[in-house]
Amino acid sequence: MSEQKNSLEPIILCRDLNKWFGNFHVLKDVSLEVQPKEVLVIIGPSGSGKSTFIRCINRLEEHQEGQIVVDGIELSHDVRNIAAIRSEIGMVFQQFNLFPHLTVMENITLAPRFVRRQARRDAEGIALQLLERVGIPEQARKYPGQLSGGQQQRVAIARALAMQPKIMLFDEPTSALDPEMIKEVLDVMKELAQSGMTMLVVTHEMGFAREVADRIVLFDEGRIVEMGTPEHFFTNPQHERTKLFLSQIL
Amino acid sequence: MPGSSSDSPFYVAPLESPASRRPPVTTVGPLGWLRQNLFSSPANAIATALTMFVSGWVLWQILSWSVRSAQWGVIFNNLRLIGSGLYTPDQIWRVEWTAALLVFLLGLSTGVWGQVARRTLFAVGVILTIIVIIPLIGARIPEPRIYLLVEPQRNPSTLVFLGYKDQEVTFQIDPITDPEEASTSLAGYIENARSRTEWFTRAREARDGTLDFADHTLLLTARLLDARGTDLTVGDAPAQIISTPDDLGGKLTVKLPRDGWYMIQVVRDDTNKADNAGYAWLKVDGVELFPSQIDHVEALEDEYGLAPAPDQAVRAEQSLYRYEGTQNFAEYISLQVAPFFKNISTALFAGLALFINGALIGFLGKRERRVRRAALGGWLLAGPVILILLYGFEGSRSLPLVSTRLWGGLLLTILLTFIGIAASFPIGVLLALGRRSTLPVVKWTCTLLIETIRGVPLITILFMAKQIIPFFSPALVDIDLTIRMMIGMTLFSAAYLAENVRGGLQIIPNGQIEAARALGMNPALTMTLIVLPQALRAVIPAIMGQFISLFKDTSLVAVVGLYELVGIVDTITKGQPVYRPYQREAYIFVAIVYFVISYAMSDVSRRLESTGAGSTRRLK
Repeated sequence: MSEQKNSLEPIILCRDLNKWFGNFHVLKDVSLEVQPKEVLVIIGPSGSGKSTFIRCINRLEEHQEGQIVVDGIELSHDVRNIAAIRSEIGMVFQQFNLFPHLTVMENITLAPRFVRRQARRDAEGIALQLLERVGIPEQARKYPGQLSGGQQQRVAIARALAMQPKIMLFDEPTSALDPEMIKEVLDVMKELAQSGMTMLVVTHEMGFAREVADRIVLFDEGRIVEMGTPEHFFTNPQHERTKLFLSQIL
Repeated sequence: MPGSSSDSPFYVAPLESPASRRPPVTTVGPLGWLRQNLFSSPANAIATALTMFVSGWVLWQILSWSVRSAQWGVIFNNLRLIGSGLYTPDQIWRVEWTAALLVFLLGLSTGVWGQVARRTLFAVGVILTIIVIIPLIGARIPEPRIYLLVEPQRNPSTLVFLGYKDQEVTFQIDPITDPEEASTSLAGYIENARSRTEWFTRAREARDGTLDFADHTLLLTARLLDARGTDLTVGDAPAQIISTPDDLGGKLTVKLPRDGWYMIQVVRDDTNKADNAGYAWLKVDGVELFPSQIDHVEALEDEYGLAPAPDQAVRAEQSLYRYEGTQNFAEYISLQVAPFFKNISTALFAGLALFINGALIGFLGKRERRVRRAALGGWLLAGPVILILLYGFEGSRSLPLVSTRLWGGLLLTILLTFIGIAASFPIGVLLALGRRSTLPVVKWTCTLLIETIRGVPLITILFMAKQIIPFFSPALVDIDLTIRMMIGMTLFSAAYLAENVRGGLQIIPNGQIEAARALGMNPALTMTLIVLPQALRAVIPAIMGQFISLFKDTSLVAVVGLYELVGIVDTITKGQPVYRPYQREAYIFVAIVYFVISYAMSDVSRRLESTGAGSTRRLK
């Protein structure tokens, strides 16, 4: 399956990415290609640079060396390029980052209305469909603070989808959730993967990785240690670091 | 059963969870409440009793004073001045329309955003109705009769006043011949003593009947003069009364020919001083003393020319007056309470009707975007509309120019507050954003401005606005004092507001900004849609506190010569000796007005915090 995808033009291309926080070398020569409709799960210990890596892709962090090309556009200091790339990429955060002063409906329709200049009515129609897709259409008029964590994260997913992105980035989407609520969020993500969305997911949910991922990447100390299909990863890991990591979390 | 769980390590609850019950009753009736809260321990009981005794005593003192001896005439006789200052009397309708507009907007807002503070806005509406509209209607109460004490030590005695065209002025000489009058008629004269010693002397003399005024012949001439000292005439004869012991001279009513300064001068025939040393009252009707009595008459002199200051004249503020008030309870009701309510009833009903109409329109239409926009737009437009309405146009017949120097009283207080809030809010937000800017020059400029203004007392800023602004550019000389004070207050408020807003900006988590950027919003959209709404909501209490301070600080412009609420009351009670004994009443009234408006503002702020869309309670 992944061999088939490799023949296509990659939607994300990273070449020799390097990044420092002050003197701390966070990303070291990271090179990676992501094919359209591919689900890439990124795992690794904390501080390994996996979050920083996906935040570089929509330029919430700036890389200092190397090249990132998203859908044919290279990330540079050009503001127009950044805006173009960000509107192609949806992002879901660990802490949801919903706008607490707006209702669920307003959270979802805000960017389409003010960035994409959609009419209010159109945007609300789309938002309602998305809320149905994530399973909480009845919460549209509530404020984020009135929802449970799982519901909030599903709203965050709907909010990102409302911009009709080609790529979705997930930065530990279930880490801040109560165990009872993790499943409802993972279910939405699974459905999204099945619908053909290109997804980069930073997570510790190995079950999800095994079931949904096309490829899994293990980050450690700012570099890619091992990359492969779930089958390869869970049954026949090569690198010592991978074996150690898996032995500790499984 | 939980009880049996001690026997066995295993316990499984029944499938159904028990129905929720009400919490147990913890207090028993009002008596139980009293016992629990007020008399729970001996110390508490003593504290309660002591507090009740002291506060009861204070309340009783205030109440009995305000009914038995307070003379509220100082308020309701000067309602027009307190309401709108020296604003040209025949243009008062413009102030009334301003008040009407504000009351209507308040009503509309109450209806539309009622869930925020319906009760409070209603209270504010009612109170504003009373204190804004009513003073203006109240102005139609006839001015009190003025008694000028004609003393042997002053010759001639001159009363200087500002008159308007077709105003009817009546004056009369009333010699004091009855020793019995000493203890009653001269009450004001005694009250007005310049020192304690003088007061005691006069009071004793009056009590003993030895006050020296009765046993003398009085030969007095009272004349009405214009500003140049020319006699005014009735028909062909000069407008004058000659009073002798045989013929008191009667009353004379004169219609004034134009707007301007006038004098009534009383000249004593000094040919035989020994025989001519008694006292008399010059009783004047239809004259408004206030404008002529203010210490700084520049404002009026701009309009009406220089006030006359004849060599021998005693400016009225130096003369002695007495105001005939009431001192007992029955008269308190019939002379103070009844006329007040009679005179305010029209305004009260007009204001209430406006308010309720506005509230109904707002309430019925609050689901309509159009009505909500109208309410918001109404407030935005209110500022310019009110300023144009009050200022008028040069040479216009229907809206003649009314110089801002004549604006005063509660009108000026509310305008300074309203404009200060409306202008300092955007400036303060911009300064706060500027201070957080990544551009060094913008950042340093804003920081310097904020810290400079915050490091200087408001009173200094107001003096600077008065004295220094004209130095910057000759073009600025023409900006009049009222506008300069508005600028000063606005800058001061903006600097503090900027720091409050900056505090709000700092608490917005970075995740909010990242989320907005990840959705493709540019920095401007992120700021206006995501950061500012949350930051401002978080600092509502601080901002409202700032606005309340601004409202109270407007009283400082009195120091640089504007007559807002405090300034005008100060001038009324100091400048019009008639009212000099009643400063207590006047300042208590002022305090009540300030308190009511401040309290209403802070109540609205409390409700904004705890309710409404995205309130802090809902922020997670």
